[in-house]
Amino acid sequence: MAESSNSDANSRKRRKIDPDSQTRWRSEAEQRIYSSKLMDALHHVRRPGSGGHDAVRDAADRVLAASARGRTRWSRAILTNRLSLRLAQINRKHKKAAKPSAGKSCSRKPAKKLPPVESKVKVLSRLVPGCRKVSLPNLLEETTDYIAALEMQVKAMTFLTGLLNAGAAAPA
Amino acid sequence: MNSGLPEMLHCLNLTSENCEMSVLERQRSCLKWQQEQLSHHHPPIPYFNGNDHLAYSGFHGDQALSDLVLNGGAMKPDPGVEHDDFRRFMNYGSGTTDFQISSALPRTVSCPPYVAAASVDSAAAGKESCKKRKADRSHKIAAEEKKMKGCAEEESKITEQNSNSKSTTTTISTSANKNSKGASANAKKASDAPKTDYIHVRARRGQATDSHSLAERVRREKISERMKYLQDLVPGCNKVTGKASMLDEIINYVQSLQRQVEFLSMKLAAINPRLDFDIENYILKEMFPACPPAMEPDHSHLQFNTSVEEVSGSGLEMVVDPMDATLRRTISAPITVQQSFLDSSSLNQTQQVTWEDELRNLYSMEYQQGRSTPFISQQITGFLEANHVKLEM
Repeated sequence: MAESSNSDANSRKRRKIDPDSQTRWRSEAEQRIYSSKLMDALHHVRRPGSGGHDAVRDAADRVLAASARGRTRWSRAILTNRLSLRLAQINRKHKKAAKPSAGKSCSRKPAKKLPPVESKVKVLSRLVPGCRKVSLPNLLEETTDYIAALEMQVKAMTFLTGLLNAGAAAPA
Repeated sequence: MNSGLPEMLHCLNLTSENCEMSVLERQRSCLKWQQEQLSHHHPPIPYFNGNDHLAYSGFHGDQALSDLVLNGGAMKPDPGVEHDDFRRFMNYGSGTTDFQISSALPRTVSCPPYVAAASVDSAAAGKESCKKRKADRSHKIAAEEKKMKGCAEEESKITEQNSNSKSTTTTISTSANKNSKGASANAKKASDAPKTDYIHVRARRGQATDSHSLAERVRREKISERMKYLQDLVPGCNKVTGKASMLDEIINYVQSLQRQVEFLSMKLAAINPRLDFDIENYILKEMFPACPPAMEPDHSHLQFNTSVEEVSGSGLEMVVDPMDATLRRTISAPITVQQSFLDSSSLNQTQQVTWEDELRNLYSMEYQQGRSTPFISQQITGFLEANHVKLEM
């Protein structure tokens, strides 16, 4: 009674992402929409002539993030930071290579928390785009949606590659 | 109840930074002040209940809240006296609280200066918002609900709280908690109406009612709930227990998914230029009809051949229509290039609509497991026959 209504109020309050994410990303309609949009984007990618696999992946990610309608943090991060993120990564790599390792360890503070959970949370936050400084409960929520979206992306891209493969193989 | 006042103001501050919220909280503070004045005429216990209602009504009493309040009220020793107050305050709490608060406003001629000061203080203090503090406030209120103190003590607490920061209020609540430790027998976690992000937590029986531990418990429950969702999502996660290993699984899964996307994007990138090349090839062949069109040597995917070409042709439709038409024509039928070129322009319009249908059908079929091939082949043959007929005409 009170608890169920409480949980209802909870879900209402909490943006209703958790139960929605799976149903949203797993619907066939969503897959179809994504596939057709991806085809569009791929054609635009191809046009300039730079058909590197990175461009394809970025296009796929962008379309995926666009289908999220901006409700999740990772999708917003993908849409806004696509280029700047890569540049920042490249710069960071250069900086890391330049710096000596001793300098790195000195700059890092003595580890104040070494629990394995904490380090894994950090790794996970690095994996999900745009979620580096997000608290754990929100991070888990973003991860849920992100995993569902990635699964749909993989399915759609597999389908497309199968199509195009057979298509290109064509008239034998 | 007065001690709840600044806490609730804090919470209101923390939950939203809108100016309308500040107006609202000012209204609420006035209302609470009015309640307090009213309460002076009542015995402490119903006063306490009224404050309960006030606390909840200040947050747009939902049905859930009214239930909670009623249940909370049931704990009080004098249920007979309380019912009147309940009914009266339920009118406050139920429905649109804003309206009722505003209706209650005229009754309060002047807000006491310290209430205003409290709101200002809380506004200033609430700018640095942290979840812990919000949870602390909520738990303090919950803790306060449990205790059965008189007004005087609460007033003294108010003045203390108004002048001090979070730490003091924590100590106050802990002292209050000690008094009420055994009081609550319900295990409830109430959440507010959607407008304020505010959690009422009751400590369960036999558990620490310290505000810190309450906040931690709320956080832990949130985390465990989301981990459960993730467990359903990630395959193989239900075999392992414990946060660390589950996180391991999740990380592995996300990494594998990302690697798959990378791999598939490479494949797509490899295919894409091929399609472009094919199109250009066919166009060139149009120019020189003598040479047979060069095709890809990959003969492995026979079943999807024609239909897929049609689909990909429809996908390429957006680019240039005549090219696609020629592509489709050359691929689908074993006809000479000349014929295809002649027929493409005439058949272009009629085919476009059917291409879209084919695409849609294919997608729907593809996603239905294990039934795609026969349908597609049937569709292909039917379509091809139609094409052939048109060609012959």
